[in-house]
Amino acid sequence: MKLREEQLWFAGAVMTGAAHEEADHRLTAGPKLGPRERLDVYRHAYVARLIECLADDYPVLKVALGDDAFDALCRAYVARFPSEAPSLNAYGRRMSEVCTGFEADLARLEWAIVEVIHEPSRTPMTLESLAAVPEEAWAGAHLVASPALRLLTLEYPANDYFQAVRDGHAPAIPAPGASATVVYRSGLTVWRMGLTPPMHRVLAALVGGEPLESALALAEGEPPEQVTAWFREWVSSGLFVGVEAG
Amino acid sequence: MANRFGLPDLGVGLGLRSVHYTHIVEAQPEVDWFEILSENYMQTAGRPLEWLDAIAARYPVVMHGVSLSIGSTDPLDRAYLTELRALRDRTKARWVSDHLCWTGVSGKNTHDLLPMPYTEEALRHVAERVRAVQDFLGAPLALENPSTYVEFASEPRAPVMREWEFLARLAEEADCALLLDVNNVFVSAFNHGFDPRDYLAALPFDRVVQMHVAGHTHHGTHIIDSHIGPVVDDVWRLLGDAWQRAGGTSVLLEWDAEIPSFEVTHAEALRAKAFAPASLREPGPDDPLAGSRGTFVGPRGVKP
Repeated sequence: MKLREEQLWFAGAVMTGAAHEEADHRLTAGPKLGPRERLDVYRHAYVARLIECLADDYPVLKVALGDDAFDALCRAYVARFPSEAPSLNAYGRRMSEVCTGFEADLARLEWAIVEVIHEPSRTPMTLESLAAVPEEAWAGAHLVASPALRLLTLEYPANDYFQAVRDGHAPAIPAPGASATVVYRSGLTVWRMGLTPPMHRVLAALVGGEPLESALALAEGEPPEQVTAWFREWVSSGLFVGVEAG
Repeated sequence: MANRFGLPDLGVGLGLRSVHYTHIVEAQPEVDWFEILSENYMQTAGRPLEWLDAIAARYPVVMHGVSLSIGSTDPLDRAYLTELRALRDRTKARWVSDHLCWTGVSGKNTHDLLPMPYTEEALRHVAERVRAVQDFLGAPLALENPSTYVEFASEPRAPVMREWEFLARLAEEADCALLLDVNNVFVSAFNHGFDPRDYLAALPFDRVVQMHVAGHTHHGTHIIDSHIGPVVDDVWRLLGDAWQRAGGTSVLLEWDAEIPSFEVTHAEALRAKAFAPASLREPGPDDPLAGSRGTFVGPRGVKP
């Protein structure tokens, strides 16, 4: 099938530069450009489009690396992970795999933002619905987390860096330091919330579906009123969409 | 209704872009219709669909795809078609369009509108796939002429026809609709050295259900269909020529990079109304480009 053979050659030439010279006999010259130059319009567009997509998904990683290093990273990504989907919505999902150290954590954070954008919204649970749980069922009840929520444990303070860039600063690349962040969507807005270690323990347990009583007990030495305040904030922020009896 | 499919003339619309979502939903500007990029609302269950639902509830929408890959020699992607049909049903899109192109092969997607060799073999191949897609959708598919930057060389056993001949024969053999991108005709005419009026003269305008205009980027040696900036005078004039042939047909402006405010973008789209056939035009100046500094320069760089 001539058409198949033609497409295999053209796609290879565009995506990898393979058999580029065959343009001389497969394609015609234009009024002002030769066959190879005409083919190069597609070669450049292919890479440029995918880099643009990655830049949309990773704007702060681009700041952290600088334009040239980010461009080189994206070119390596495009070469390693050609798109296999009709939509570009999930194209950048593997960026953290080609990054190391702080950049890998920043990529995880930025991809979490993309993920929660594409997860469905559910009507948030209210504190009133929680109050409706019978007292005897309280200890064993567990919460249902919003699908538009990602809980990240990172080796660097990536969220602090992200926020500083968003605030218009030019922060230095941070030293290693464990951090936890919850990324979630409420309505049309994506939020990021930094978590202290005890907050993270409790929230991770709640998101994981552990019974309320045992999850809240993970706060250990924190004042009860403090734990209550966290809990009220998480619920009112829309992190949970339901409560189920144990 | 000017087209044989009975598809409505929606007026002058605008390509829906995410930078304008908030303005559209909050201000609800008077706009005839929006064209959505289908794939932006596929492989997602979240925010893009929430915006789209709000907009589709208020405005007529049409779906315009870039990944159908109708010319590819890979099998048709049934999962893609199923999602496309579901999106059509969700938005009540008036029709679905894509491009006369292929986007990849061997399971890879370049996300570019790659050029077809306009051979008899390709014509049979694409016509069969268009019929299959139309059967699946239960509706006519509108195919758009792409901007192209290469042309395949003819071989003794596989002579290559001109794009307009291929498109006209395809539309007939597959019984499909056409989305005529006037800017793409202009871009390809410059890149390949043909007269855009020859292109228009060969098209079956009773199959044209929609027309596109857009800005482009002139590099001297070639023109890129960048969808940046206002529409040049030459393209407006070509639209006028095409509209005269098509009669009442939906027209849409695409603006995809360096996108200005909604008001500026919409105002540019509405300039199209001055190029409607006299029978459809609102009262206005006889020459809509009077006073413009633009000069009509033919595709070979000479004044016609």
